[in-house]
Parts: sequence; C-alpha cells; structure tokens
Amino acid sequence: MKMEDMPLSGPDNTKLEALVNDIYSELVEDACLGLCFEVHRAVKQGYFFLDETDQESMKEFEIVDQPGVDIFGQVYNQWKNKECECPNCKRLIAASRFAPHLEKCLGMGRNSSRIANRRLASNNNMSKSESDQEDNDDLNDNDWSYGAEKRGEHRKSQTSPRRSKTLKHKNEFSPFQYNYNAGINYEMLGPDEVQSFLTTVSSFHGRKKSFQSQRCPQHTDEQRMAVRVFLLGPSAPVLPEADSVAVPESFDIPDGQALMSRLQWEDSPEISPSDSASSKASEEKSGSPFPIKRRTDKEPVSVSLTGTNHSDSRSLSTKKKKPKLTAPSISSIYDDLN
Amino acid sequence: MSKDYQMKAAINQKLIEMGERERLKELLRAKLVESGWKDQLKAHCKDVIREKGLEHVTVEDLVTEVTPKGRALVPDSVKKELLQRIRAFLAQHAAL
Repeated sequence: MKMEDMPLSGPDNTKLEALVNDIYSELVEDACLGLCFEVHRAVKQGYFFLDETDQESMKEFEIVDQPGVDIFGQVYNQWKNKECECPNCKRLIAASRFAPHLEKCLGMGRNSSRIANRRLASNNNMSKSESDQEDNDDLNDNDWSYGAEKRGEHRKSQTSPRRSKTLKHKNEFSPFQYNYNAGINYEMLGPDEVQSFLTTVSSFHGRKKSFQSQRCPQHTDEQRMAVRVFLLGPSAPVLPEADSVAVPESFDIPDGQALMSRLQWEDSPEISPSDSASSKASEEKSGSPFPIKRRTDKEPVSVSLTGTNHSDSRSLSTKKKKPKLTAPSISSIYDDLN
Repeated sequence: MSKDYQMKAAINQKLIEMGERERLKELLRAKLVESGWKDQLKAHCKDVIREKGLEHVTVEDLVTEVTPKGRALVPDSVKKELLQRIRAFLAQHAAL
C-alpha cells in the first residue's frame, strides 16, 4: 500500500478505508454467490459429480502407451497385411487396393474405361443395336454436370461406330455397296415414284441454276465412264454436261430401251462443284438427265429396272440418287403429276 | 450517518456508471480461479452436498455454508490488489 498516494485526511481516511473495504466485500460476495449458483445448477442438472467416475470405467479409457498401438489401444495397420479374394477374377488383392481393383475389374468405376471396353466388344460382335443401348446407359452413368449430358449425346452420336464405318467406306469405289442408310430406298420405288424422282431432279436442276452439278460426289467420272462402257458397250455416249438447261416438257422417245438404260445411268451432270468448266460434250439436251418426264408407258421402266442385273440396277438407281434431293421438291412434283 | 451513506451510494453509482465495478469483478474472478480458490470451494461444496443429500440441496444451504469459507479463503495478494484498485478509483473520482 502506497500511503503517499493518499491525499486524504485522517478521519476521512478511515471512512474511506471502510468504504473501500465495503466495496471489496461486496465484490467477494458476488464471486461466492456466482459459484454457489453454478454448483447448485450442476447438482440439479446432474452433471456435478461427473468427474468422479468409478475405477472400472477409469481403467477402461486409460491412455494406452504401447508400441504399435494408438492411445486408444487400436492397432493402426491392422488391415494392411490382409488379402481379399476378388469375386470376379479370383485373385488375392491387398485390402487397401481392393476397392480400386474392384472398380476396374467389374468395369463400373469412373476410370475403368468401361466405354472403351464396350466399344471393343461391340466392334467385335458387329452389333449395332447393342452399342446404341449402351451409349444411353453410359451417358447416365457419367458424372453429372448440367450441360455435359447434351454435349455428350451429340458427341456420342457423332463418334458412334456405325457412323465412322460408313464414312470409312465413302471413298471406295463400290457401286454394289452404296450407302444403304440414306433416307429413300430406291429399290423399293415403283415406276411412278421413280418417274417422279426423275422429274424431281430435272425440275430441281432447272430451277436452281446455281446448283452446279448433280453428280454424286462419291464417284469420279472415270468410274462412271467405266461402268457405262461396261453396261452399254464401247460405244457408250459420253456424259452430258453438268449445267445443261432445264429439260423440255415433252420428249421424243426414240428408243425406249436405250433411253431407259441411259435413264438409269443418269446422274448426268457432272457432280464436281469445283469443276466449273465441264468440258464434257455438251450435246444431247434431249438425252439429258431425265429424258422421260411424263411417261404414259410405264412398263419399260419397271422392266428395265428389274430386268437388268439386280446389282447393277441397284447401283444405278443408287447412283442416280442425289444426296441433295429434298423432300419439298418431291412433294411439289407429286402435285404436278396430280 | 446518512452523509456516509450518501457518499457510499454516490461512489457506488459512479463505479457502476463508469464500468469499473464490472472490471473489478472480472479481475477478482480471474484471480480467484488462478489461485485455485474456486476449486477449493467447489470441493467444500461437494462435502456440503453429500452431507445434505443430492436431491435436497438448496441455494440457501449452499450460500450459508460456502460464503463464509469463501471469504476466508481469498488469498492475501488478491485482496490487497483489489483494495488498491478501489482506493485508486476513489482517489480519482471521489469528490471529497
């Protein structure tokens, strides 16, 4: 106590001191009361004597200090040395590697290259429908993200094995193995439909002058000439020019058979969009693509279609088929006919 | 004397208003816990409770049993320090 700090007088001092003591006493009493309330509450709530457990429980949860064991007494790498037998491949796998192994083994995990294996399997089996179904399953299994489903679907359809196969064959000259998967099946067309098709193309050809050539892009002119020679003989006329004018309404029909054969051949105008100057003989407007627009006599058409080699007719009819034929033009031709 | 009483009341009021009372209270509690006073007293409480019976203990019982002992158990250093602080406060703010 520093008495020199007190500027107070004697009698006041005692009073003051008494006052100070009073204040101090009050503070101490407050502290005691606080403790009492705390203890009383603990007693009534039942947690006052929690720190006094019996010896048995104390022993149970004692801190363990042995080597190879943690403080609870549990062994750390208990499962490290154990091996499990895989139900799939019957191998003994270490326990810590078991789950990832199962993932790969059963082909169900995220990184198990399930798609690749399935594609291999489907390629081996050459089964289309299989791959279609599995594609859908695979999409559902992928980690979910909002836009990925749509994107994934598009990607899948673009890279499906079926599509890639047809693309592979595209550039080969195989008149007998044309693309069967096109929209219209030319073999199934009746004579009326064939006629409408032919007129379709001719009118199409007439209307759209910008449409350079109607020859299919999958075959070269040499191929066409070769086939023409093969079928028509060495005296086969050359292919007409690509941008010949629209076919006149009425036609002479000099020789039905020859014309029909030519008719079948006709993808006449050269299809080579890059080939602007078609130097092939520009003759034969009459012999141009589809000489017969409105045939009264439909017999030869069907006969010639079916009479010749089936493979040839198929190839011819498919050759005629232009990928650029559109549905609207066809329907318009039907209107014309009607 | 009423004058003293008045003075006391005034000083108390001042203590509270300035927040000094709270500060002193916290200081005292911290010091008591630090010195082990609280644990001592708690042990004494346990004895009282066991004596009276767990179910029938009341606050009044505890208070009457515990407070005198508590007062007595306060360490001297703590007591001195607190008295010092109170005196200082009075010296600063008391209008004598």
